[in-house]
Amino acid sequence: MLEQKKGDNGEAIAKSMLKMAELKVPVIAIVIGEGSSGGALAISLGNKIFMLENAVYSILSPEGYASILWKDASKAKEAAEKMKITAKDLYDLKIIDKIIKEPEGDFDKLANNIKKEIINSIKELKKLSPKEIVEQRYNKYRQMGEYKKLDFKEKK
Amino acid sequence: MIVDKIKKRGPSPRKQVNNVDIQVGKWVSCTNCKEILYKEDLKNNSNICPNCGAYFRMHINRRIESIIDEGTYKRFNLNIDNINPLKLEDYPQKIDKLRQKTSLEEAVACGTGKIEGENVVICVMDSGFLMGSMGTVVGEKITYAVEKAIKLKYPLIIFTVSGGARMQEGIMSLMQMAKTTEAISRLNKAGLLYISVLTDPTYGGVTASFASLADIILAEPKAMIGFAGKRVIEQTIGESLPEGFQTAEFLLEHGFIDKIVERKELKHTLYKLIKLNK
Repeated sequence: MLEQKKGDNGEAIAKSMLKMAELKVPVIAIVIGEGSSGGALAISLGNKIFMLENAVYSILSPEGYASILWKDASKAKEAAEKMKITAKDLYDLKIIDKIIKEPEGDFDKLANNIKKEIINSIKELKKLSPKEIVEQRYNKYRQMGEYKKLDFKEKK
Repeated sequence: MIVDKIKKRGPSPRKQVNNVDIQVGKWVSCTNCKEILYKEDLKNNSNICPNCGAYFRMHINRRIESIIDEGTYKRFNLNIDNINPLKLEDYPQKIDKLRQKTSLEEAVACGTGKIEGENVVICVMDSGFLMGSMGTVVGEKITYAVEKAIKLKYPLIIFTVSGGARMQEGIMSLMQMAKTTEAISRLNKAGLLYISVLTDPTYGGVTASFASLADIILAEPKAMIGFAGKRVIEQTIGESLPEGFQTAEFLLEHGFIDKIVERKELKHTLYKLIKLNK
């Protein structure tokens, strides 16, 4: 909150991401609830990103999104449907690596599922050298954001 | 009746102005002092109000003209378009219209050029293109430019103006913050100079990524810079914020910015900084 008051929380997010980008050890990020905007991104720059089955990860809360895009926060439900925020959406968009199943009402089983994925990832990432770990993370984000060729001439 | 009253009033004031033969579209009113300015005068004065000194936002091409030596700018041939990842109905048309209106491909232009003879890679954003928001195309172009700077061993200069991550591309826009940050980390490792110039307004995901990660952060006077807008923060924390909050001057005082530079001094300041760091 103090950071907010000085107006440099944007810098804090940027610096946090930069530090994570430099880390020579494996980083595994797991979205376990509602993750949104720069705050979530700032602490999730990982070699592997997982999401719990019912977690959401978005650019902004659906209320905020609707209010910015349609100037109407009450359209949050419509926004939530359009925004692609579910684990499945993000898996299809190739942003997350895996969806972790959430067995209903069984927290121990869920904890075990998470544990299993962490151990598997560490085993896999351990084979990489520190340099390769940094590179794997770079390439992961480098390819995010598909685009297509454009036929347009910029004028002076 | 209201209708009768309107009829009695005769032609609207705007129509009367047209009758005295003032050329429409050549004049603009200063948002600060309200003075009516001839656009050509404004252009010749680096888009600064000749009356009160307020800064107007700049088109990419004007900015490049004012910073890069004449005839030396070469844009990167990266002609790309977004794939409308959220499949919004009106988004592609909106972009199309903006392209026609602004003559720009997207909200950022990147290329190489010389500043008083010194080679640089330069990126310039434009507020006229969806408020300079960063979607997949802007993210890719910035990343490409950073990688080019590394390859060419040129200093990197980025002029920012942005409302933040582009809502229309959802989570893909958010990821561009990570992508550009990753690129900057490589630039740091290569030991190359990176100067960002924050212009009014620079907000959201752009502030929270490459804009804040420069070796030297410059800003134009009175530029508004932040992550969330002032009103949003006040509503969230339920407290009012200090005077001048999020102005370049406030941020300079708190150590976020290294120097505030007048628009007309920017080119030479950049040159001196590049020379100094060579």
